[in-house]
Amino acid sequence: MDDAGENGHGCYTEHGVSGYGVAIKLSHDQTMDEAWIKSMAEEMMVRVADLCMEHGANAIGHIKAHVRTSAGTVKADTIGTSHGAYSQGTISQPVHELYMAVNSIVQGIKEHVVAEATLDGIHQVAEERGLHVIKEKEHTYFDEFDFVKSDEEFRREFQEQLEKSEG
Amino acid sequence: MKITQIAGFLGCGKTTLLLRLSDELAEGGKTKVALVVNEIGEIPVDGKVIEESGMRVKDIGGGCICCEVASTFAKTVYSLYKDFSPDHVLVEPTGVAVPKQVKQAAAMSGRDADIVLGPAVVLFDATRPAELLDMDMLGRLVVTQVKDADIITISKADIAEEADMAMAEEKVRELNPRAEIFRVSSFTGLGFEHLKQDILDWKEGA
Ligand SMILES: Nc1nc2c(ncn2[C@@H]2O[C@H](COP(=O)(O)OP(=O)(O)O)[C@@H](O)[C@H]2O)c(=O)[nH]1
Ligand SMILES: [Mg+2]
Repeated sequence: MDDAGENGHGCYTEHGVSGYGVAIKLSHDQTMDEAWIKSMAEEMMVRVADLCMEHGANAIGHIKAHVRTSAGTVKADTIGTSHGAYSQGTISQPVHELYMAVNSIVQGIKEHVVAEATLDGIHQVAEERGLHVIKEKEHTYFDEFDFVKSDEEFRREFQEQLEKSEG
Repeated sequence: MKITQIAGFLGCGKTTLLLRLSDELAEGGKTKVALVVNEIGEIPVDGKVIEESGMRVKDIGGGCICCEVASTFAKTVYSLYKDFSPDHVLVEPTGVAVPKQVKQAAAMSGRDADIVLGPAVVLFDATRPAELLDMDMLGRLVVTQVKDADIITISKADIAEEADMAMAEEKVRELNPRAEIFRVSSFTGLGFEHLKQDILDWKEGA
């Protein structure tokens, strides 16, 4: 057996890599179309990357977002400011609300600093773009933000609820 | 059931490649393919992207499958085998995982099942070769990933500069003379037939 990695914490900690994730619900008074959402998400990714570097990061692993709306989804990401940002997806009609999960993985700064940079980046761009933050939750697995559950997930949760109410 | 990992540094194109590859391996439903994705940062953004594609996917959170949650990974693979019996499981470890350890963890799931190991495929991002190898602490990690690879794919060949790709090929060949090295693009499909055939033909330890 290899002896590497058997010292009780993640390999990524040894390499100075920290990750942070947050889910957020945003709304806008005017409707937002696909082009608007994509450019906003790309801008957010780059802003978060910039702020991480300003806070002393050595390198950006990635800053990624998954945007979900009632009319479709978009993903956006950057692997560093010099590489620009990229987005993909379809929003079939303009919407007022969107859900967003953002995941930042960065090297050279601690997790709480990654968290600060990520939240600041999201809030700055949201404010500049006239978005209101409705809800925000750290480290979430989408749960309550997840309004389109897979059948399997739904059945599992339903089963768990049944068991709870019986027990 | 063959377990193949698609490894490589953060942002190198693993998820994008995984989606296209699983589609090609599935051959329109003739072959069953399942995916396992591990992300650090506690939000499975890529997991959501994959789920949307309609693929069978298991998300593993709470740490890295090459170390902290290796046993969870082994159990997940075994339960996929029992419940779904796919022909192929494609695994995307986190961008900072050590491929050799992921292989060891995968092998643990196979003790009482008909599970064989596929190759460790490691992507090397041709849009930032110098950056990847020069990074302070991460350079060492990228080197380890390249050294552990059975197959190295030079990724994003559709947009990478020819000079960067040539440099990437030269560097990875120096680090790992044993591995097969070729260019891929998940956007154009370049290299996918090659990769698919390599996975199908692979015999661990042969
Ligand atoms: N041009 C190009 N971009 C790619 C390719 N594969 C992935 N990307 C982009 O690289 C970024 C990271 O890809 P992703 O698959 O999420 O990488 P991961 O972090 O390794 O899973 C995204 O913006 C992708 O669209 C490719 O073959 N060509
Ligand atoms: Mg990925």
